[in-house]
Amino acid sequence: MSRIGVFICHCGENIARTVDCGAVAEALREHPGVVVAEDYKYMCSDPGQQLIKKAIADNDLTGVVVCACSPHMHEKTFRRAAAQAGLNPFVVEMANIREHCSWIHDDRGEATAKAIDTARTIVEKVKHNKPLQTIRIPVTKRALVIGGGIAGIQAALDIADGGHEVVLVEKEASIGGHMSQLSETFPTLDCSQCILTPRMVEAYQHPRIKLYTWSEVEKVDGYIGNFSVTIRRKARSVDEDLCNGCGDCQAACPSRRIDSEFDAGLSRRPAIYTPFPQAVPNMPVLDREHCTLFKGRRKGLAKDACGKCKETCLKGAIDYDGQDTFVTEEIGAIVVATGFQLYDIGREQPAGLKGYGEYGYGEVPDVIDGLQFERLASASGPTGGEMLRPSDGAEPKTVVFVKCVGSRDPEKGMSYCSKICCMYTAKHTMLYKHKVHDGRAVVFYMDIRAAGKGYDEFSRRAIEEDGAEYIRGRVSRIFRDGDKVKVWGYDTLSHRQVVVDADMVVLATAVRPQPGIGELAQKLSVSYDQDGFLNEAHPKLRPVETNTAGVYLAGACQAPRDIPESVAMAGATAAKVLGLFSADELERDPSVALVDERTCIGCFNCEHVCPYGAIEHRDVCDMEGHVCGHVAYVNPGVCQGCGTCVAVCPSKSVELAGFTDDQVYAEINALAGW
Amino acid sequence: MSELQDTARRLLDEGLVQVVIGWEEGPRGARPVFVTSAADCERLIFDARCVHNLATFLNPRRSQITALGKAAVVVKGCDAKAVAGLLREAQLERAGIVLIGVRCGGVAGEPATLAPPALSAETVSARCWGCDVREPESVDMLVGEAQPEPPVTADLDERVAALDALSPAERFAFWTKELSRCTQCYACRQACPLCCCERCIVEKTEPQWIETSPHPRGNFAWHLTRAQHLAGRCVGCGECERACPVGIPLGLINRKLQQVVYELYGYTVSEDPAVPAPIGAYATDDTQDFIE
Repeated sequence: MSRIGVFICHCGENIARTVDCGAVAEALREHPGVVVAEDYKYMCSDPGQQLIKKAIADNDLTGVVVCACSPHMHEKTFRRAAAQAGLNPFVVEMANIREHCSWIHDDRGEATAKAIDTARTIVEKVKHNKPLQTIRIPVTKRALVIGGGIAGIQAALDIADGGHEVVLVEKEASIGGHMSQLSETFPTLDCSQCILTPRMVEAYQHPRIKLYTWSEVEKVDGYIGNFSVTIRRKARSVDEDLCNGCGDCQAACPSRRIDSEFDAGLSRRPAIYTPFPQAVPNMPVLDREHCTLFKGRRKGLAKDACGKCKETCLKGAIDYDGQDTFVTEEIGAIVVATGFQLYDIGREQPAGLKGYGEYGYGEVPDVIDGLQFERLASASGPTGGEMLRPSDGAEPKTVVFVKCVGSRDPEKGMSYCSKICCMYTAKHTMLYKHKVHDGRAVVFYMDIRAAGKGYDEFSRRAIEEDGAEYIRGRVSRIFRDGDKVKVWGYDTLSHRQVVVDADMVVLATAVRPQPGIGELAQKLSVSYDQDGFLNEAHPKLRPVETNTAGVYLAGACQAPRDIPESVAMAGATAAKVLGLFSADELERDPSVALVDERTCIGCFNCEHVCPYGAIEHRDVCDMEGHVCGHVAYVNPGVCQGCGTCVAVCPSKSVELAGFTDDQVYAEINALAGW
Repeated sequence: MSELQDTARRLLDEGLVQVVIGWEEGPRGARPVFVTSAADCERLIFDARCVHNLATFLNPRRSQITALGKAAVVVKGCDAKAVAGLLREAQLERAGIVLIGVRCGGVAGEPATLAPPALSAETVSARCWGCDVREPESVDMLVGEAQPEPPVTADLDERVAALDALSPAERFAFWTKELSRCTQCYACRQACPLCCCERCIVEKTEPQWIETSPHPRGNFAWHLTRAQHLAGRCVGCGECERACPVGIPLGLINRKLQQVVYELYGYTVSEDPAVPAPIGAYATDDTQDFIE
């Protein structure tokens, strides 16, 4: 026999203004199975919770309904209170009479009637609630960090310093990411390499960080606390244990005309190369696509066409026959920090993007993007830090910077703001003016977005102290005119056309997620938005979590981020991971799906629609132990209780604990008055 | 005809299958037959009266049929799509069956005749309108002569369009009248190749979602639920309507569902089991218009 207590909260005036809480209590007192119904001004306060606890003890309640706010707000509060009074927390339910009732209605009579109906519905549900036990699953206390840029390095260091092992996977030959390419960083203009490289070395030498460079995540199995991750170690052709990083192989390599990725195509590198002098690990990789030997092998030449690097290597570290290998790591939590790429505004455009042919990119050599400018300004760059333009190596006397190329342009590019361009363009003008004192820096902008500590001051400094000329307006065309680059623009403040004869143009191109992010997201069962950025679980309250438990986001894989934000996110993910690792077992909400093996027909539609990969196949055996069929099984560690499987199951063989058919049916019946 | 019989005979003779499921001449037109010996293969026929969707008999829970052993099934285009549906939902293994495809130019609307009728716009079954499968592709072998397109009849679509043109109240009145005749005998379910659950939702009693007494309320619940369960899965073979003893025009519901699924997901039932049906597919860019 049910003995239900109903507790109606006024929420100060939030509910009581439109709902007559006393009348709700009075009506519910008459409802079958309800033994106590009371209203109180703030049910979530300590006296309110005491009221509930006392009622549970005095009336020997079997279920509790709290008519108050959204369960997202206070369900945990009231379940905890009930547990303290000795009741199973999962027989406590919230009836939302605030967001679903008082806040959206004006008529007091009607709102009160609706609140009563809502309460009755939940009372009927609670009559069918069963005590549930929190799910406990073991935790492997090792973290995987995907991406070795500043966010990934920071997350790895924070977790490792917290006492747990970290596997750091980087797809390039060195960690460091985009930050290692930058010259100086806003808003302090300190040298990017100088602040980054110590971190890179620290990560490399950390006793609890296992670094896999030139590697990618191949497969992710399992669930929070219990992932099994297969990592593809791409054939490096250089034995990491033997190589001492002397660089002789690079000097010997005859293929020397390959565009350097690190210098954003502004310099050339050999086929066997260390990406940059401060690379970590300081060890070359053989680019098999461009290597003469491998080109020959692909053509089917009987004899290897080259072999200079192997001949030169005193350590015998070069291995032309190495293949990709796979390692499997047991992991408890995953931090995704795959970072960004710049919008490529060359002729070749990815599907769905139109490109900016009118800006002459790729055709006019002196039209470059922001990352290329960073390399030109960098002391370790192709010009040794001298400001020289790519076409003829002359010092550019007029440089035009165009912001929002691809950003905030739903028609041709992306609708979002790339966030970092305002600041780095301001920085670029300063770097330029500091090197070319008599030069002109002209900036075409839509808005100056400089929200951040010291950011507005910084961009003002570019204009007021360093004399950057900011023109509010867009650029319509950029083309070559003799040895000049002609820029046609429009000043929307003075309503006049502007033509600048520039020596070099820097396009602040949009920030986009890394290529392949979609495939990685699918491996991790993490959703992503229309632009490809990974989705956080809640934009405000769970910004570094994803909807897949145990997978966290740091840096620009989630949205355009600058360095301070990426580092802060990395620290936040580390806090989440360390929190997860603080207990030997992990507690999970028991609201998970459960398959009735007697009626499941094994159509596995549930498996196809499960966003979390929680559905597994289980064999069904006959009395003699022969496999006679397959049914679905929900892994409770992975299931997030979304109920999608329940909806698609044709034979109604899946139920969600806490939201069973019985409970939902009782609710519908209560509403229908049956 | 002899090509079909020869194929069946060879399959049985060589022990590749233990039963061939096809059609034979019955007292009132063609009827399904389960041939287990090579000598009986001469009974097999195929003509415009062979309307039955034999994929129904591949339901793994029909133990009296699975007990016969590995089966070869004669399939028309619509039947092949139903087999694909079972494969898609892991009810069958492709290697566990042999599919004998027949070239089909449409079947008769009134198949209970002693001789196959000449197909015309008047005599062809409504299910065949728009059918583009003259030769099923997913089969192991193909028999019969090349067939012309079935005669054009837009009958079913015209009737769906006429219903769509009604006001909701009129449409509700129409279906109330039609469904009031339902006795919930579940012949529609038994004839359906894709209704293959161990326990049908109508048999679920805790809670009992569907009232099983033949009251319009329960009848509506039954047919609407069945429609939902078959959305994007129904191959339009029309067997439910043909099986219905009280003549409820279930084909109208099926055709409407096909239209809706196509509008929402651009999906038409495929003969390729690797093509996911909308019910078993999850994509982050799925339309969410229904929430607005």
